Amino acid sequence: MKMSKVSRDTLYECVNAVLQSSKDKKRNFLETVELQIGLKNYDPQKDKRFSGTVKLKYIPRPKMQVCILGDQQHCDEAKQLNVPCMDAEALKKLNKNKKLVKKLAKKYDAFLASESLIKQVPRLLGPGLNKAGKFPGLLSHQESMTQKIDEVKATIKFQMKKVLCLSVAVGHVDMTQDELAQNVHLSINFLVSLLKKHWQNVRSLHMKSTMGPPQRLY
Amino acid sequence: MVRHNNQLPNNLTQLQNLIKRDPESYKDEFRQQLAHFETTLEIFNLNPTQYSKKLDEQAMFLAQVTQCYLNEMTTFPQKIVDILKTHNTILHSDMRLSLCKCLILLRNKNFVTAYDLLELFFSLIKCQDKNLREYLKTHIITDIKNMNMKHKDMKLNSTLQNFIFSMLRDTNAKSAKLAVDILIELYHKNIWNDHKTVNIIADIGCFSKITKVMVASLKFFLSREEEEKNENSDSDDEIDPRDTMISNKFNKKTRKREKMVDKVKKIAKKLKKKKEKAPIFNFSALHLINNPQGFAEKLFKQIESSNDRFEVKLMTLDVISRLIGLHNLFLFNYYPFIARLIMPHQREVTRILQFAAQASHELVPPEVIEPVMKAIANNFITERNSTDVMAVGLNAVREICARCPLAVGEDLLRDLVQYKSYKEKSVMMAARSLIQLYRQSMPNLLHKKDRGRPTEALSEIKAKQYGELDIKDYIPGSEVLLERKEDKYVEKKNNKTKKKTDDSDEEWIDVASSDSEINISTDEEDNSEDEDGEDNSEDEEEIKFDHDNGDKEQSEEILNQNNDGNRKILKAKRKISTKDLEEKIETARKIAMDTIFTDEDFKRIEAAQIKKCVSGIKRKKNIIEEDANESTELVQLSAIENIHKKRKHDKNARLESVHKGREDRDKYGYKDRRKNINCSKTNREKRKTKAYQMVKHKAKGKVKRSFKEKQIAFRNYLIKQKKMR
Repeated sequence: MKMSKVSRDTLYECVNAVLQSSKDKKRNFLETVELQIGLKNYDPQKDKRFSGTVKLKYIPRPKMQVCILGDQQHCDEAKQLNVPCMDAEALKKLNKNKKLVKKLAKKYDAFLASESLIKQVPRLLGPGLNKAGKFPGLLSHQESMTQKIDEVKATIKFQMKKVLCLSVAVGHVDMTQDELAQNVHLSINFLVSLLKKHWQNVRSLHMKSTMGPPQRLY
Repeated sequence: MVRHNNQLPNNLTQLQNLIKRDPESYKDEFRQQLAHFETTLEIFNLNPTQYSKKLDEQAMFLAQVTQCYLNEMTTFPQKIVDILKTHNTILHSDMRLSLCKCLILLRNKNFVTAYDLLELFFSLIKCQDKNLREYLKTHIITDIKNMNMKHKDMKLNSTLQNFIFSMLRDTNAKSAKLAVDILIELYHKNIWNDHKTVNIIADIGCFSKITKVMVASLKFFLSREEEEKNENSDSDDEIDPRDTMISNKFNKKTRKREKMVDKVKKIAKKLKKKKEKAPIFNFSALHLINNPQGFAEKLFKQIESSNDRFEVKLMTLDVISRLIGLHNLFLFNYYPFIARLIMPHQREVTRILQFAAQASHELVPPEVIEPVMKAIANNFITERNSTDVMAVGLNAVREICARCPLAVGEDLLRDLVQYKSYKEKSVMMAARSLIQLYRQSMPNLLHKKDRGRPTEALSEIKAKQYGELDIKDYIPGSEVLLERKEDKYVEKKNNKTKKKTDDSDEEWIDVASSDSEINISTDEEDNSEDEDGEDNSEDEEEIKFDHDNGDKEQSEEILNQNNDGNRKILKAKRKISTKDLEEKIETARKIAMDTIFTDEDFKRIEAAQIKKCVSGIKRKKNIIEEDANESTELVQLSAIENIHKKRKHDKNARLESVHKGREDRDKYGYKDRRKNINCSKTNREKRKTKAYQMVKHKAKGKVKRSFKEKQIAFRNYLIKQKKMR
C-alpha cells in the first residue's frame, strides 16, 4: 500500500509548530488556525465547481455569533440562553431595506430560523442574506437549540470560487494538539474527497494561525 | 549585367526588393519616390473621391520599406492617418482599403501605436463598406491577440479595453456592435477573459438600446463553448467494474449475481460519463458577474417593459433563468411571468418549460413556484390533451422537482404519479421517471407501493425541509477502509467455516443480500469471501443482537410461506440496518480523523459506493450528493422534450411486412444452371452431391512436373542415352 501523502508525523510536527509559535508570541486575541489549500490541474472556468460542508468534531471558532430568527417559543428559549434573536415582527420592520438587511447579515456569522419562519425569510428579507451566503439553517422544535448552534459553529464550508486556492478555519490555538490534528485530518480528507482527481488536484497544503508563520503540510 | 536604372521608378516591386537588400545604395531612388508620393498626395487631396492607383502603389511601397529609412519616414504614418481621418467616408472604397492595409503593415512593424489605430478604425467603421468592416474587425482581434501572445501588458490592455468599452456605449449601432463582437471574440479566445470584460458586456451590452448589440451580448451568456476534446486519459481514475466481474467468476453462478454485475457495469459507466461531462455551456461568464441579483432584476425589468421580438424575449428569459439557477437568486416575479406563458399552444413552449426548470433551485419557497406547477399541471397534464403534451408536462415537472423537490405537494404528486399505468407509453414513462426521482429524494411523499424496494439508504434518507442542509461529519463510504483490514483478519477463519455453510445459511444469504453488510466488503476480496465473512460476522452478531437474528430466522420462514412476508423481512432488515449504519458512521468518523487517505483509498471508496447502489439496502448518500451537483447544471432541452414514443412499426408489424416481401421471391441459396428441371445434370453438378471419398482423386487434380523436374529428367535421359552408346 502506498504511503499517504501527509504522514502522521509531519502533521503533528506542523500542529506543534503552529501552537508553539502562538505560544512564543502571545497575541491579544484568540488566534484561529486555518488550512490553506492550493489546487492544480483544475480550471475554475471549465471544471465543475465544488462545494461541500462538513462538521468538525471540535468547534473551530467558538466566538461565532449565531442569530435566531424564531417564532415565539424559540425566541423565549433564545432569550433564556442569552442568544441574540429576532422574531417575525422585527424582520418585517427591516422592510426589505437593503442596507438594513446587509447590516444584519454583517452583524452575525450565521443564522438559524424556525420551521414556520424559514419559508418567509426570502420574502421578508429579500436576497440580502442569500447574497452574503448566510441563508439561515433550519431549527426545528425537536432538537435542542444549544446543540444546533454548536453544530452550526462546528460546520465549515469548502467552496471553490474564481481562484485556485481556498482556506478554511479548522481550529484555534487553545485547542490541544490532538484536537487540532483530528480536525485537520477530517477537513483534509473531506476536501480531497470532493476533488475530481483527489490528491492529483492538490498542489499544496499549508497550516497557519492568524498571525503565525505558515507551516507547509504538503 | 545590365540594369536599366531608368526602369526602376516604374518598377516599384523590384526597387522594393533592392532596397530591402541594400538600403544605403538606393537612397537616392527612395528619395525620389518619396517626393513623388508627396506630390501625388497633394493631387489626390484635391479630389479625394477618386481612386488613384499611383498613390495606392506608392503608399504600399513606402510602407514596405519604412524600416530601412527611419529618419525620412517619421511623418509617413501620420500622413496616411490624416488622409483617412479627414476623408474617411468620402474616400473610394478600394483606396480606403489599401490605405488601411498600409497602416496595418506599419502597425505590424510597430510604427503606429495600437491605441491610435484602434481609434481611427472605429471612426472608419461608420463607412458603408462591409468588406472594410470585416477586414478591420479581424485585424483588431488578431492585433490584440498578438500583443498578448508573449506576455500581457496590463496597462496597454486596460487602455484598449476602456476605449472599447466607451465604444460599446456609443450610439452608433455599427461601432457598438463591433465593440461587442470584439469583446466576445477575445473572451472566447481566452485573451480578455477577466471579470471586467464580462461585467461590461453584462451591464452595458445587455441593456443596449440597439437590439443587435443586446442580442449579441445575451447570446454571449448563452453560448456554448467549443467542445475541446481533452485527451488526458482518466484511466487511473476510473472505477473498474472488473472487480465485481472477477469476483463473480469464482462465485456460485446465479442469475441474480449476473444481474448484479450488469448493474455495476452500467453504473460505473454512468459515473464515468458524469465525471467527464464538462458543463457544455458558458458557465464561466455567468460565474464572473459581480452582482447577479442586480443584473437579473434589471434584465427582468427590461423584459417586462420591452416590446422586442419574441426570440429576444426568450433569450432574455433564458439568461435570467440561468442566473437564478446558478447563483440561487430570489426573483419571485419571474415565476408568475413564466407561468403565464405555459400553454400547450405557446410558441417554443418546451424552452419556456426549460427556463422554468432552470430557474428553480432549493431555496425557492414552494409557494412561489406553485403558479408554475399549477400552470403545468392544469394546462399540460390533463387527459384532454394529446399524450405528447402530457408527457412533456410530466417531464417538465420532473426537471423542476429535481432541482426543487419541495415544489410539488403530496396530493399533486400522487395525482401525477397515477399516470404510471397510463395506456400510452410516453406518458407512462414520464410518470415513472418522476416516481424514480422521488424515490431517491423524498420517498415519503409517494404512495407506499410506489416507493420501491426498501433499501437501507431509504431508511436513512430524511426528507430535507426547506432551507435545511445536510451536514456530514464523516466521509461517506470511508468505513470500507477499516472493514478491509478486518476482512483480511477474518479470511483465515473463513476457510474453515466455508464448508460448514448448510442450506439454511444459503437461504439466509439470499434473503439478506439486501442487507448492507454483505456487499460493502472491498473489491479485492471476492464475493464468496464476502459471504463467508458475513457468516462469520453472523456468528458474532448472534452474541450481539440476539433478537435481530431471531427476526431474520423468522423472516426466512415467512419468505417460504408467501410473498407478503417479503415486506416484513425488509422491515426487520431496516431495523438492523439503522443500527449498522450508526456503527458505520462511527467508524467512518473515526477513520477520517486519524489517517489521511491516499488516492487508492479514494478509489476504493468510490468503488464501494457504486456497489452499494446495486446491493439492495444501502444506497443513497452519494446519490443525494449527485443530485445536489446536478442541480447546479443547466437543464437540457432534450430532458423535457424526450418522449418515449411507440415506434411507427412495432416488431410484429415489421415482421409482417418482411413476410409480405418474401412471398413472390424464390428461395435464396445455390441454384444449378439447368433451365429445365427435368433434364439431367452435368457430371460436375453430380459431383457436388457425391461423398468426398468417391471424388477425392478428381478433386486433387493432375499433378504436373515442374520445369526443373523436367529439366533434370531430360538431362538424366540424355546421359543415359550417351551411356547406352
